[in-house]
Amino acid sequence: MADINFYYLESATLSNLNRIFSSADIPFIRLSKFLNEAPKSVEPKLSSEEKIGYYHRKIGNALLEDFWQSSDFNVFLRKATGLKPRFRESNHISYSPGDYSLLHMDESEPSRLLVVYDLTKEWKHEWGGYDLYTSPDKDPLVCNRDFGSLMIVKLAPGDLSCTRYVSLKSQFSAHIDCITYDLD
Amino acid sequence: MRKTEKIFEVKDFPYPHVIVKDFLDESTLDLVIDALAGLEYDFKESDLFSYWASIELTDIDHPAINILRDDLGDEVWRKKVAKAFGSKSLSSIDMAAYVYGLGDFLLPHDDQVEERIIAYSLHLTPEITEEMGGSLQIFDVDNNNSKLIDSIIPEYNSLIMFEVSKHSWHQVGEILQDIQRLTVTGWYHG
Repeated sequence: MADINFYYLESATLSNLNRIFSSADIPFIRLSKFLNEAPKSVEPKLSSEEKIGYYHRKIGNALLEDFWQSSDFNVFLRKATGLKPRFRESNHISYSPGDYSLLHMDESEPSRLLVVYDLTKEWKHEWGGYDLYTSPDKDPLVCNRDFGSLMIVKLAPGDLSCTRYVSLKSQFSAHIDCITYDLD
Repeated sequence: MRKTEKIFEVKDFPYPHVIVKDFLDESTLDLVIDALAGLEYDFKESDLFSYWASIELTDIDHPAINILRDDLGDEVWRKKVAKAFGSKSLSSIDMAAYVYGLGDFLLPHDDQVEERIIAYSLHLTPEITEEMGGSLQIFDVDNNNSKLIDSIIPEYNSLIMFEVSKHSWHQVGEILQDIQRLTVTGWYHG
């Protein structure tokens, strides 16, 4: 089982995270070096997933499938966000050169908490592949790839998310564990 | 002026489309490219696309653009386009110029907006090759299964047209070299 970086478990840190998350335009926090030890290799079994006009990518079981459902992580999520998220699903998603997802893929989604753990190594910004979140009348939120970072974002109905097209010039693939929690 | 007055056979698969080569005569082509080079282009970016776009070309009064607007949209040509595609009569066109530079792209979409009948794209990049990127890629989509059917290199002075429908999925491939892929693109409306 993965271990959360002790810094993120201290009460002062959690209090700060809760304040930052609650005050953001689109509620969001990004935690670098979230785990004491990030998984070293990424070789999950993935299958192609394509719906033209929506997404083109590979998907499989989350690398840290058990951890995302563990009580340790759930307690952390509750304290960091002040919410009561209920686990819905976790997936490992890979975006190779030419892959993408588009914003309207989740236009019928209810309120949810998205957690993205970044397993992408040696990435260049010009290759794209970053995460984008939009909410009506708010500035969009852009999250660049950063190995070992955990991103937590709260999305309301009508808020949208996608992963930007990955350039054919990219020498690697973007890898993320993407976890969805339902909210009341 | 148009160099070509004929629209040869429209291919039906995966959806009706046709390529008209050598669309403009040389002198018109030079004037049009000079006029387009003098326009301002705004960078447009979304989850779906990345490119530079001009203002709507039907809104400006410029001798070369006026000629181009006639060549693409006069009654004679509109009737030929409608006949070639077996569509209802075409009443008007809209048009804008687009420049795709290194890294720019347009992901799969079907162009469906009310009253768009035929999409067109006049390609104005000399000596473009497949390796440079920017091909017009057309898909056959059945339910959610899609298959790339053709990758059309946007040859200089070629006019590509296709019927807009729920089947007309296409994309512009990423530009892979330091070129400027210039097109005049728009739709014939019913």
